[in-house]
Amino acid sequence: MSSSLQQIGQIGRLTFLEAVRQRFFNFLVLLALALIGGAGFFRQFDFGPQELAFTANFGLGSMVFFGAILAVVVTAQLFFSEIENRTALTLLAKPVRRWSFIAGKLLGVALLMLVFVALLTALLGGYLWWRQGQLIAIRHQLFLAGRATTEFPDYLRVHFDGLAVNALLQWLKFVVLAAITMVVASFSNTNMYTVAVSFFIYLICQLQYIARDAWANVESPVLQNLIWLLGVVFPNFQLYSVGEMLVFTTKTPVPAGAVLAAIGYSVVYILVFYALAVFSFLSREI
Amino acid sequence: MSTPAIRIQHLTKDFRLGLRGVKLRAVDDLSFEVADNQVLGLLGPNGSGKSTTMKVILGLLEPTLGKCEIFGMPSDSVPARRLVGYLPESPYFYRFLTGRELVGYYAGICGISRAERPKRVADVLELVGLSAAADRRVGTYSKGMLQRIGLAQAVVHDPRLVILDEPTAGVDPIGAQAISELIRELKRRGKTVLLCSHLLAQVEDVCDHLVILNQGRLVAQGAVGDLLQREGLSNLAVENFTPAMRAEIEAVLARHGARLRHVDPARVALDRLFLEKIGTPEEQKRGTP
Repeated sequence: MSSSLQQIGQIGRLTFLEAVRQRFFNFLVLLALALIGGAGFFRQFDFGPQELAFTANFGLGSMVFFGAILAVVVTAQLFFSEIENRTALTLLAKPVRRWSFIAGKLLGVALLMLVFVALLTALLGGYLWWRQGQLIAIRHQLFLAGRATTEFPDYLRVHFDGLAVNALLQWLKFVVLAAITMVVASFSNTNMYTVAVSFFIYLICQLQYIARDAWANVESPVLQNLIWLLGVVFPNFQLYSVGEMLVFTTKTPVPAGAVLAAIGYSVVYILVFYALAVFSFLSREI
Repeated sequence: MSTPAIRIQHLTKDFRLGLRGVKLRAVDDLSFEVADNQVLGLLGPNGSGKSTTMKVILGLLEPTLGKCEIFGMPSDSVPARRLVGYLPESPYFYRFLTGRELVGYYAGICGISRAERPKRVADVLELVGLSAAADRRVGTYSKGMLQRIGLAQAVVHDPRLVILDEPTAGVDPIGAQAISELIRELKRRGKTVLLCSHLLAQVEDVCDHLVILNQGRLVAQGAVGDLLQREGLSNLAVENFTPAMRAEIEAVLARHGARLRHVDPARVALDRLFLEKIGTPEEQKRGTP
């Protein structure tokens, strides 16, 4: 068991090193960083007291958008580069179990997504911290001059611990998405097919709440069971769309129990999709 | 009698093609054994089932029928694969790693401890003649160097059985000679080698035994000397041969009921001539052909 864990660690480390050398990863990271860094230019527009909320939403949106692309494309690329270059052949001819290979690949992608989320969160957090300091000072001056009735309001202040929790949730969502992509890659023959199908599943996961709402009142037990099944098979990615609620104090703050439940929900789906990927990969002829 | 390195019994492998699942039989009722410390050449035209057979031996494919054992263990078991080293055809490795890092990675995968790894890696790099290029990135290696680093990763965990798939594909005669020498060195070290190559001169040069496949079936197997020997014929190599000598020899042979079939000028193999003119790998290193 310990040798399998060591192998998973080594495969994961090499997968991560391979991924960070990919132009696609570097391009997306730079683009996302540029967008978040460029959010400062929105100061040219007068958003008033909502400036921080707008910037935070823009940064979190960039993270979600580019992170989803990265999780799908890089997972598919890293898997198929091993198959097409036949490095998987060399590796699996050694005393490596197929479940260790899939776990190592997934670990490498999880590390990559961790770096991606950490980088973007650090930049966004740093910018929000700096800009919040400026806005508080300006508001304080206005308050002292009698041109504002209150100091900078609490509900507009950034909660950096909430930003960190959001980063954790987004990372888990990306790992779930990577695990879904790994399931598709384990039986598909091409990179393109894997990417296309994985994005389609991502859309289903992202939008399944619409189907749930639309069909909430159906009376047919068959349809009800079908909707229930869809809700179980595909994880509900709307659960992770709580960035704004975590970063800013709202009337309905996210309870700690809900965050823990989301973490558990993610871990269960990661394990289930990992098991499916292993099951499918076991019968794959390399 | 010791356990054979490889024992294949009634191996059949079918592939299902297309949506209708049309059956393609790649290997058909194949049985053979490879004794310990033997160098076996697995020959056959393209599509004869060599690669499928090798993949079954490596545990990468499951047989449809029959079984395959390595030193008495099922070939797809992890303990069996600890005993096997494999060099794939036209190997491709992680280009961003140096040769030393690459071999170290595979050593780690094979369970060699962190403390033991540097020495083991240095030893195999020395064995394949890549010590000088060990800290260069694999992406900068020539075709011959890639084959040699592939061989290094195959033997880094000191396996008892080494499987080489076209180890000289695309390699110049000097590189091919170096790889032949490495195969002989592996045999001297007590390893069993399964060599799959289209370079028949090399197979004849380094192998003890041959297995020849065609259309998934075994068509010949045995010791190289036995298979290549022509029944009832012998060769003589004579220096300063003259027509008068020939007449006398023919008379002697006739008295014994034998017959001289033909007299040809002795020829040297082309690869031998090339190496004589260019120099062996050792001579190349010294700069003296």
